[in-house]
Amino acid sequence: MLESLFFLIVAAVAVLSGILVITCKNPINSALSLILTFFCVATFYVMLEAPFMAAVQVIVYAGAIMVLIVFVIMLLNIKTETDKRTSHAVLISSIIGLFVLFETIYFLNRSSLTGSKGLMDSAMIKSVGHTEIIGKALFTDFLLPFEITSLLLLVAIVGAVVVSKRKI
Amino acid sequence: METIAMPAINFAAIMPETILSVIAMALLLINVFVPSEQKAYLGYLSLIGIVVTFFTVIGGWGTPQEGFNGSVMQDNFALFFKGIFLVSAALSILISDQYMKREECNHGELYPLILLATCGMMLMASGTDLMTIFLGLELLSVSLYVLAGFQRDSLKSNEAGLKYFLLGAFSTGFLLYGMALIYGATGTTRIAAIASYVAQNSLAGSNLMLLIGMVLMAVGFSFKIAAAPFHMWTPDVYEGAPTPMTAFMSVGPKAAGFAAFVRVFVIALPTLRADWADLLWVLAVLTMTVGNITALYQKNIKRMLAYSSIAHAGYVLVGFVAGNAVGTAGIMFYMLSYAFMNIGAFAIIVLVGKKGEPNNNVEDYAGFGFKHPLLAVCMSIFLFSLAGIPPAAGFIGKFYLFSGAIQAGYIWLAIIGVLNSAASVYYYLRVMVFMYMKDPVEEFDWLKVSPAIALCLIIAVAGVLIPGIVPGYLLELAQKAVLL
Amino acid sequence: MFDNVWLIPLFPLIGFLINGLFGKAIKEEKVIGGIGALMVFCSFVVASMTLFKMISLPGHERVHNVTLFTWIKSGTFQADIAFLIDPLSCVMLMVVTGVGFLIHVYSIGYMHGEEGFYRFFAYLNLFTFSMLLLVMGNNLLLMFVGWEGVGLCSYLLIGYYFHKKSAGDAGKKAFVMNRVGDFGFLLGLFTLYWYMGSKHGIWTIQFTELAKHAELYPVGGVVTALTLFFFLGATGKSAQIPLYTWLPDAMEGPTPVSALIHAATMVTAGVYMIGRMNFLFIKAPETMMVVAIIGAATALFAATIGTAQNDIKRVLAYSTVSQLGYMFLAMGVGAFAAGIFHLMTHAFFKACLFLGSGAVIHSMHHALHHAHSHDDPQDMRNMGGLKSKMPMTFLTFLLATIAIAGIPGFAGFFSKDEILWQAFANPHHGTLNFALWGCGAIAAGLTAFYMFRLVFMTFFGDCRINPKCKDHLHESPMVIVFPLIVLAFLSVVGGYIGMPKIIGELLGGIPNYFEHFLAPVFEFSEEYVKSQAHATAHHSLVLEWGLMGVSVVIALVGISIAFVLYIASPSLPAKFTAAFPALHRAVYNKWYIDELYDFLFVNPCKALGNFLWKGFDVVVVDGIVDGVGKSVLGISAALKNLQSGYVHNYALSMALGVVVIIAFYLFR
Repeated sequence: MLESLFFLIVAAVAVLSGILVITCKNPINSALSLILTFFCVATFYVMLEAPFMAAVQVIVYAGAIMVLIVFVIMLLNIKTETDKRTSHAVLISSIIGLFVLFETIYFLNRSSLTGSKGLMDSAMIKSVGHTEIIGKALFTDFLLPFEITSLLLLVAIVGAVVVSKRKI
Repeated sequence: METIAMPAINFAAIMPETILSVIAMALLLINVFVPSEQKAYLGYLSLIGIVVTFFTVIGGWGTPQEGFNGSVMQDNFALFFKGIFLVSAALSILISDQYMKREECNHGELYPLILLATCGMMLMASGTDLMTIFLGLELLSVSLYVLAGFQRDSLKSNEAGLKYFLLGAFSTGFLLYGMALIYGATGTTRIAAIASYVAQNSLAGSNLMLLIGMVLMAVGFSFKIAAAPFHMWTPDVYEGAPTPMTAFMSVGPKAAGFAAFVRVFVIALPTLRADWADLLWVLAVLTMTVGNITALYQKNIKRMLAYSSIAHAGYVLVGFVAGNAVGTAGIMFYMLSYAFMNIGAFAIIVLVGKKGEPNNNVEDYAGFGFKHPLLAVCMSIFLFSLAGIPPAAGFIGKFYLFSGAIQAGYIWLAIIGVLNSAASVYYYLRVMVFMYMKDPVEEFDWLKVSPAIALCLIIAVAGVLIPGIVPGYLLELAQKAVLL
Repeated sequence: MFDNVWLIPLFPLIGFLINGLFGKAIKEEKVIGGIGALMVFCSFVVASMTLFKMISLPGHERVHNVTLFTWIKSGTFQADIAFLIDPLSCVMLMVVTGVGFLIHVYSIGYMHGEEGFYRFFAYLNLFTFSMLLLVMGNNLLLMFVGWEGVGLCSYLLIGYYFHKKSAGDAGKKAFVMNRVGDFGFLLGLFTLYWYMGSKHGIWTIQFTELAKHAELYPVGGVVTALTLFFFLGATGKSAQIPLYTWLPDAMEGPTPVSALIHAATMVTAGVYMIGRMNFLFIKAPETMMVVAIIGAATALFAATIGTAQNDIKRVLAYSTVSQLGYMFLAMGVGAFAAGIFHLMTHAFFKACLFLGSGAVIHSMHHALHHAHSHDDPQDMRNMGGLKSKMPMTFLTFLLATIAIAGIPGFAGFFSKDEILWQAFANPHHGTLNFALWGCGAIAAGLTAFYMFRLVFMTFFGDCRINPKCKDHLHESPMVIVFPLIVLAFLSVVGGYIGMPKIIGELLGGIPNYFEHFLAPVFEFSEEYVKSQAHATAHHSLVLEWGLMGVSVVIALVGISIAFVLYIASPSLPAKFTAAFPALHRAVYNKWYIDELYDFLFVNPCKALGNFLWKGFDVVVVDGIVDGVGKSVLGISAALKNLQSGYVHNYALSMALGVVVIIAFYLFR
């Protein structure tokens, strides 16, 4: 009971801050709202018994990436967006959004979402430790995807240089 | 302290990927020391790399290799597609140098990016784990975003890169969500394990989570192969991107999308076949029709080829829906011949343009046939093949795709396909009409064919005509590569 | 036995390669034309040898498959590069190589001095090669390759004078209309393959295999559907209703092309295809009826249009459409041999007529050119009295005209009369027979009328050409006249190898050689028809003689009317036009069929394409999002692009797609 109440409060904050991200006129405010959203997501991870994910979420996203973003915004001195496209596009997307909401509710109600539970139940996480499980998975079953990630990051760096460096 | 038992790596399974990525990294380093007017050497080096990789692909034929605890599987299916990717990468590199030099953006980063994109495609084709496939797709996509916007001082190119990036990120969201739902339903990301879990617990038909996961994955892949209604990005991106890169991204990534699409759906979700066949049926019809009808009105030849590539994705989907050996072999045969004919056509487009004046309108080809008869004949061969007229390879491929659909009982789908390909002749023919039946406006005196492009054209013409006249050998290969 | 038949298509292919690759370098017209003609002549020699060998064989040994190599093989599907040599393909080979050779010779004279002489001969050889492939292919796919090849060559040759916009347009029209037909062909192929495979486990597209299992086909049903598909293919290639409008436009091409492709060979491919698959068509009574009705209607319809054209080549073009209608009528009433016979005689006299008209145009063109006149050299109103100027052309033209008009003793009479009699007496269509015969007979009368109108307007009466040009009109060189003489000779005697039975009996028991020769090909159909109990043809000698008499009378009436209108009192046609202006206008404008097609098909397609292209951008972005007001304010298009204004629309459309698809799966 208490847990679901807590969930509802955090979820409401997550949704509200998410809306703020896209409605704020000042980019700084948007960025700060995004940090709040990330924190809410981290809370969810904790509630789902994934403390390592929560920590990574806070450190990497809310910490490193967002600081970088805020830094860049201030450095470039981006002006608040003035040209607002308030129009039928908003209307159409709201209608589509409502449909998505409706479908999601229907989806959740109609089906018994009985997926497979997987190996990581709370008992196992308590006995072995979340970080260790993830580490082990990354170096055994998901070794190849883990290695591909390095290539992905390399491409991203090269891409960033190609796109933005003044003289290459 | 517990030690982690390393999985059986088996490098043979990722040999081509390894070679390509090592060469790409080496090129990044070499690039620093190469002066900007000699960047073509990087292209030659990458071509050597591609040829070496191609030999490993040939060498691997017939001996399936599994690696990394089953997260990758290099079977004939993967190898055939790897061949297609290498062909498209090599041909695109051959036409890149002249174009990039002309537009003054011959930066050395081009070649490593192409190689890494190819590497990503290969991982998509051989991945047997949803994570491998997803990361391969991301590796491919990120490289392509950069390649689309590679012409940094052209607004159109920037716009293409940005648009592709935004929409690509959006579609990746769908794909990942779909994969997450499937993982949620089955508790695994290995595609073979998904299939056995679904079969054991008879989830098909009853489990909505699985179903919606399937739908969202289909959406993600449909974006990659540019199937309607997820095709809107294609014309803008193809038009804006540097022409050699348009050639590259119209062929390789599309083939990669199909490879992953087919492998995931055929291996992981065979029990949901009835469900996804319906969806793909509709997508195929929509894609062919929208692509062809819109192409009818295009005056810009790059946009026209963009819409035509949408239509071609529709034809290939027909083979996918058929799902039998003939249809699946048809997909592979068709994608390979499409690589030759489409890149060949783009090579001609590169030649006709000049600095700052891409000459992309159909009118710009007026009288081209009289000024440069040989090039015009090449272009005609490519266009005929695209239109599916014998004896070009495009005809055999279409014939195969549609007869696959007919053997599987999808008569109406085949009829719609044939009708569409009949309609498509009109816009391909229009280019030929301008080339041969209008008086020349331009002298085309700026036009110079570099040896690299000449080589590309020779390979492309041979690749269109030889499988068209004697398709037996290639079809046999494709048939041995079928995943069934 | 027929091991060397692969030489037949090889020679023209060599000619194409030589002229296509080196023609520009050779330059010398005589060499280029000589190579082109020689190659076809070599094919003709081999084809004749094949024919003689074939005749020496007994009837049941006359079907041979000569396989060169396996072309496509995958699982159950196999297609070879292989040739089918049987009496039917022998006849076609003789027509294609024989008439083809004569037309090649003629072209050397006719195309003299034209720009791109080598290109013309290269295309012509390529055409011959494709046509031979079509005729000799032993499976449907190889036939289809030839089928597409001849369409391509036809397109290239129609557009030969690319400087004229009308030529380019005509080429495009021909190609697109042919593609509509090809689509039917492919569908028929697929359906046949799928049906035989899935139902009987016989995955094959080879003609002899398909014929061997002919008794497996059910009557009607799927066979009706697939034969209708094939027939759609035939209507495209052979210019039948509703896909005939490209053929008259195709006259934009050089005249030898009209003679070879658009009269003698390519356009008859549809007839040949039906003949080749007679075992299928005979099992589909509904299709047979459609074929017969379309054939008869086309014969009549095109003949009416032919009566009001003034362009000499257009008259011949509509005449070709009409004669092709006869051939389809023959196919539709089960008289396959008669149809093929008419195909052959028609190739003789129509090629002769086209080449003769070409000689006239050639001469007119030179004369007008000398006098710097801009009159149309093809308009018959500018001609007249050419009889004395071009005696040989006139004589050969007249003989061919008599042949096509159906005067007894000439080739056209035998073949046409056989078709009309079969239309009347066949066991397939019951009461419809009389209407079919009626259409054919009236069309025969109209044919006689417009053909003699043509002859009278061109060769008789006063010379209406610009007086300054008169002295420059002269007979063509030998290289042009020689083919005319040979073809005229064939138009006269070609009919005697296929005399109708009753005439043969009258002359002392001369059999119908042609029908006997072809019998092995149509054996199954003959047997099948005989086995149907109710299908007893009412055969009466008196009736047959009577009908023959009627058709001769009709032809004579047609000729007399032409004589009265254009020789005896030339003022009458004008009066007639004045009396019925609407009718004349409609006929003159080809019953407005082109306009109708534009209205029904071309414009809606364009509109739909336009809508889809502009629909999203214009309606959603400009119309709704930006609003009309904002557009007026005028943000530059480039800026708008950069502001990613379109991207969110794309994303919206994707989201919409996802929502719809998921809704389908959730709520189904």
